Amino acid sequence: MKKAVSVMVLVAVAALSILCFGSMASAGEEIKMVGVITKIEIAGPDAKTATATLKDNKTEQPVVITVNDDLTLDKFKDHRIVEGDEIRCKYEVIDGKNVSKLFRKTAGC
Amino acid sequence: MSKKSVTAVVLCLALAATAALAASEHPGKESIEKSGYKGPETCEECHPGTAKAFLDTVHWKHASKVTNVDNINPKLEYGMKNRIYVMCNGNDIVNNLKEIPKSPVTGKSKFSGCNTCHPGNHLSDVGSTGPAAAAAVDCLVCHSTEYDFRQRKAFKNEKGEVVMGQDRSTKAALAIGKPTVKNCMVCHEAAGGGVIVKRGFSFTKDTDAHAAKGMVCVDCHKTKNHKMPTGHDPNNWANDGVFLSCADTSCHGVKPHKDADLNRHSAKIACQTCHIPRTGGAFAKDFTVWEQTPDKFYEPTTLKKEANETTPAYAWYNGTVKNTPHFIGPKGSRKDGKSKITPFKIFQGRAYYNKQTGELLSMDFAQPMSNGDTRAGVLSAAKTLGLKNPEKIAKEAVPGWQTIYFGSNHLVTKTKALYCANCHAPNGVLNFKDLGYSDKEIVKLTSPELYMEKVAKKQKEEW
Repeated sequence: MKKAVSVMVLVAVAALSILCFGSMASAGEEIKMVGVITKIEIAGPDAKTATATLKDNKTEQPVVITVNDDLTLDKFKDHRIVEGDEIRCKYEVIDGKNVSKLFRKTAGC
Repeated sequence: MSKKSVTAVVLCLALAATAALAASEHPGKESIEKSGYKGPETCEECHPGTAKAFLDTVHWKHASKVTNVDNINPKLEYGMKNRIYVMCNGNDIVNNLKEIPKSPVTGKSKFSGCNTCHPGNHLSDVGSTGPAAAAAVDCLVCHSTEYDFRQRKAFKNEKGEVVMGQDRSTKAALAIGKPTVKNCMVCHEAAGGGVIVKRGFSFTKDTDAHAAKGMVCVDCHKTKNHKMPTGHDPNNWANDGVFLSCADTSCHGVKPHKDADLNRHSAKIACQTCHIPRTGGAFAKDFTVWEQTPDKFYEPTTLKKEANETTPAYAWYNGTVKNTPHFIGPKGSRKDGKSKITPFKIFQGRAYYNKQTGELLSMDFAQPMSNGDTRAGVLSAAKTLGLKNPEKIAKEAVPGWQTIYFGSNHLVTKTKALYCANCHAPNGVLNFKDLGYSDKEIVKLTSPELYMEKVAKKQKEEW
């Protein structure tokens, strides 16, 4: 019985460690994706942040991206980037939010 | 100071601030507010003749006479209107803006074409002339900071013609002024098939010393009558006949450094060599194999890196250009008295060549974009250009590679510029052998002997 308990404790500790280290790794990790914008939410011309929902091309799941950089915000405001555009995006998970590090249209001419 | 004096100073400051604000605001606001914006005719009230003059610029013609490039006719005009090379492979003529064939998968079509960025309305297209062309100029796409890009979309009019929309709203017209970086980047940012593809730079405070100082594109590319000065990029042929250089007296002059040894370098080394040590963007593209994108259309296979993620190649350059079906790049030598060692962004592209003549063929993107059939694109382009036996040409076309040396003139840095040991060392960035130096000279050029004493002294001062 003692042996069984020890094994269970060891397994639990190992699992907890994997979970902890796993989440620590993903917190600072840069995630890359390509997807099509299904929704842009921005609060007016003076907004300092916005969210864009992308439909991930690989998983087909919606991913909500928080955009804070002025260049991309300006493109939302003057509609250089609109719903339906395909985007190449890099983001980091910060405080539970997918914060954009790169947000670019894939198309060109 | 008395109360009266303080009041006077405050009043003067307020007056000066108002004057400064008024000076930064484009005049004519009241007239535009009263009458609305009617296109170039509104601008012409204060700038008579400007729209007509604009029709004679590279931005409208997408071409000019070119005198420094091999194997072309100096009497004809060349540019993105008609050039055939492997960064784009199409051009305004063969890949004219149009509705492409429907995707066999989705049944959907879209508008596409090289001249999408032309500042007309497509009815008055690249190189058009006359009153209709002058009235079609989209002044605001370059001069307004409030342009609504939802308006600048292609559509078909009641006659079935493809028209490029424009934002001619009063709101946009009231926000006119000197073009901002954004205005230029609307077109130049995504040229060549995507953001940072063609020239491999972004003009931001993080990537360019000039942008970090708050400068905008037209501070260097300072126009006169809309004629745009450019550098001497071996792959940027069309020009307005005006050129710019870092050494212009209004910029850095011929002796830009405090250190005479560094100034001595500028006789044989282009400024860009030390001050633009990195490049980026697309480094390879394949127009013979197009990849299907999530919307089920196709795009040429493209390999690319971010700004500052690749290194340039260095060559002697005297401003003239070797131009063959498989190579476009700098000419020059150590001994011609005109050349400087210059950095270039290297790009290689694969496209189809004419089996009979060995010439590079161009491509209409409509067919491959719809269904991936690249030879159909070659056939359509051959027909448009009036080549004999277009079907035979397209069927027999042979894939091949072309190497292009692009000028590397942005991503300027002061703090990360190359220093002595970046070049004068056995592992330096310059291949002195390829640049024409003898073994004996190379031993000398790659030794710290050249700079040891001076750099040691400087190091001591700094620490």
